[in-house]
Amino acid sequence: MPEGRMSEAALELRGLEKRFGAQTAVAAIDLQVQQGEFVTLLGPSGCGKTTTLNMIAGFITPDAGSIRLGGRAVENLPPHRRDLGIVFQDYALFPHRNAAENVAFGLRMRKLAKTEIAARVADALRMVRLDGLDKRRPLQLSGGQRQRVALARALVIRPALLLLDEPLSNLDLKLREEMRSEISTLQRRLGIATVFVTHDQDEALTMSDRIAVMRQGRIEQIGTARDIYERPASVFVATFIGSTNLVRAKPAGPPSEGLVPLATAAGPAILRLDRPLAAGADLLLAIRPERLQLTPTGTAPDGSTAWPVRIEGVTYLGGRLEIALRLADGSPATAHAMNLGAMAWQPGHVADAWFRPDDAWPILDGGASDGAAP
Amino acid sequence: MVPYLLVAVPAGFLLAFFVAPNMILLSASLLESEGMVPTGVLTLGNFTTLLSHRIYVDAIIRTFGIGLAVGALVVLLAYPVAYVLVRTTSRWKNVLLALALSPLLASVIVRTYGWWVLFNRDGAVNEALQALHLTARPLIMLPSTAIIIVGLTHALLPYGVLTLMAALNGVSPNLERAAISLGAGRMRAFAATTLPLTAPGIIGGFLLAFGVAISAYATPAILGGPATQTMATLIYTFMATLLNWSLGSALGVVLLASCLTLLMLTALVSRRRALT
Amino acid sequence: MRRPVSYLALLAAVALIYLFMLGPILITAVVSFNRSDRSYFPPRGLSLHWWGAAFTPQWTGAFVFSLELAALSAIATTIAGLPLALAFRSYEFPGKAAIQAMTLGPLVLPSLVTGIALLQFLTLAGLGSWIGLPALLIGHVVICLPFSVRTIAISLASIPVSAELAAASLGASPGAVLREITLPLARSGVGAGMIFAFISSFDDVNLALFVSSPRQTPITVQIMQFLEFGFSPTLAALSILSMLVPLALVALCGRVVGIGGYLQQEQGHA
Repeated sequence: MPEGRMSEAALELRGLEKRFGAQTAVAAIDLQVQQGEFVTLLGPSGCGKTTTLNMIAGFITPDAGSIRLGGRAVENLPPHRRDLGIVFQDYALFPHRNAAENVAFGLRMRKLAKTEIAARVADALRMVRLDGLDKRRPLQLSGGQRQRVALARALVIRPALLLLDEPLSNLDLKLREEMRSEISTLQRRLGIATVFVTHDQDEALTMSDRIAVMRQGRIEQIGTARDIYERPASVFVATFIGSTNLVRAKPAGPPSEGLVPLATAAGPAILRLDRPLAAGADLLLAIRPERLQLTPTGTAPDGSTAWPVRIEGVTYLGGRLEIALRLADGSPATAHAMNLGAMAWQPGHVADAWFRPDDAWPILDGGASDGAAP
Repeated sequence: MVPYLLVAVPAGFLLAFFVAPNMILLSASLLESEGMVPTGVLTLGNFTTLLSHRIYVDAIIRTFGIGLAVGALVVLLAYPVAYVLVRTTSRWKNVLLALALSPLLASVIVRTYGWWVLFNRDGAVNEALQALHLTARPLIMLPSTAIIIVGLTHALLPYGVLTLMAALNGVSPNLERAAISLGAGRMRAFAATTLPLTAPGIIGGFLLAFGVAISAYATPAILGGPATQTMATLIYTFMATLLNWSLGSALGVVLLASCLTLLMLTALVSRRRALT
Repeated sequence: MRRPVSYLALLAAVALIYLFMLGPILITAVVSFNRSDRSYFPPRGLSLHWWGAAFTPQWTGAFVFSLELAALSAIATTIAGLPLALAFRSYEFPGKAAIQAMTLGPLVLPSLVTGIALLQFLTLAGLGSWIGLPALLIGHVVICLPFSVRTIAISLASIPVSAELAAASLGASPGAVLREITLPLARSGVGAGMIFAFISSFDDVNLALFVSSPRQTPITVQIMQFLEFGFSPTLAALSILSMLVPLALVALCGRVVGIGGYLQQEQGHA
């Protein structure tokens, strides 16, 4: 890395803010990306993730806050002095230049010697498996090949940070999955710190070291894929990523041996928590459909939570079945079951839906906190 | 700062050589003058002079008549051409398109000269009429307002084709097919779908041809004469022959006002198009 | 596929309209080979006499002058139009709408009126000596500028913004982005604008009528003045000659800059 010491974060955002008129696009974001780390900004359109990326790149000037790249403050530097590699959603290849010239562009701007440029361009094209296509113009390349040229062009300048702006959204499904793993592999091999912007939760879950879920200009939660999926900090995070059942709940007594009793709309429940819940807190219990299992009434394992449910419908999804349920209070829920051949559950059946104490997670109703008391 | 650096020189150029001259034209039309030099006296006299002489009023009326006729003819003749060019799948499509637009490359003089050759006293039309013993001696067909209209229609047809092609390109051929599948005849299907949907293009093409026709000089000058003056030829007479720049300016302002009115009409049509 | 009768009738009508469109130009071409001194059609005997007459100094002088004027107009129009188009595209600034309206103004106002306005302005400003080449050049830049700005604007609009951002992120300064990305990609619009300006200038009658001087007269005005005294097949030869110049230009450069896409932008100057 040419810039900064290894101990410095590759990227550090502090209190970064941007308003467009009365609209707050990004509200006081703090974020650190370590050397070699792959961090994803995930959120629906309009959540501020692209604005954040554009501020890091220097295409938009922040209203407040600081941006440091490898310890160097860059918020007052124009884009061409920031030393970043960016892959754009539409690839932004220069249509009047061939693949090799596209890749060479950043090196020419750095006034490198011709021989060095040629060597590095050849290396970069080989790295993305495009050797032999160097004379092709962008229009003569397939979507995946354009994507690779864009990647090579961004990486060949050996940037301190790689920014990826929804680079996979223009590819068809199969190619998208292929490029997903290719980008991941390349990123790990080069050990380059990367900020990846996407609205696609699968991309975020499979590629990232850490995910920052954004909503309305704020980071709602930041953590590993597992944190985000299994311990969502808010209803938004729980429902934006995957699908989830939410059931109203309140603490129903003191914890004992790490287990917390709850009273819920569907019946009593027991959770395993490492921290106590505030007494009387309004909670939403989040249970992923694949963790909610069906069993004949009264046959749920000891120590689990079992709720009586009525089966409303069964949808055949191939490898699994999606079962629509109605809970005791009349609210709907969903359970997933492996498709093991026999169609045991029919609409109209009554059964028990059960889950283990580790399979549900409490969210403080209306808040962004995890519901655990300090 | 940067944008002003970019626009300063060209904008200054336009202010000096486009805006200022038009201001002077406007003021010259409102000032008394002795020959070519305006005096400081404000007057509407130039305009009343234009409106009180039969020959000037006739020229203005004739100009608008020519504009209306040319606008209508251009749309009428350009529509079938545009329709076929847009809908055909023939491999000759590009050749036909190039042929339809190629007259644009020729100066309007070239485009008018052929009509003079056809209709002059010794022209092909007279030759033919005499050969067929339909007339004993050559007919005097020029100057003629009708042939000016023909000449201008011919000169402006490519613009009509372009405008209508743009309009027709926006109408899916499936609309007519749908109408036919619902039991309409071909003409009926066309009249119920494509025709109303291309109305803005028809009006736009008409206004464009009208505007260019009323300000055309070469065609009425070649195919017309003293008895078929239009605003443009009259302006030339005022400016170059009679050296009465005040009257020339006043008539120029009338022409200018006509074109601006037309522009507003066009804007109105395109706004309606944007709304629907 | 069998074509219905109504479609065949349509094709027949279109064929007649094509005859109407192209006939007069073909007639003019044929008349130029007439042997007689009248513009007979069909021609009575063939001769290259009138083509010879077209190559006398009376006409070649005006012809060459027209070519020079058109070339200068094309270059000057582009020099003025490029910064305007760039500023309109990339910046919001007070007065932008007014400057845009002023730029497009000559498109909707008759060039004849622009001509007489320019004539009076130059005379009153004591610049009467500019009548001739300088005034013609000024007038043609004024009336060609809207085409130039529009064709350049169209080609600029087709450049993906992200390409310029990408160049900046790769280390290109604003000047380098303009030089390496924006201008090369706008080349076809600049070229098309130049060709249109050249042809508009070369074919212009309405404005040149008023600001030509006896010694500096373009071929179109020369023909119009000659027409006041009579017709001659020489004019047919000259007409065809003056049509070949733009035709050759488009044939030579049209492919290079892909002029077809811009043809829709041209408007009338009859």
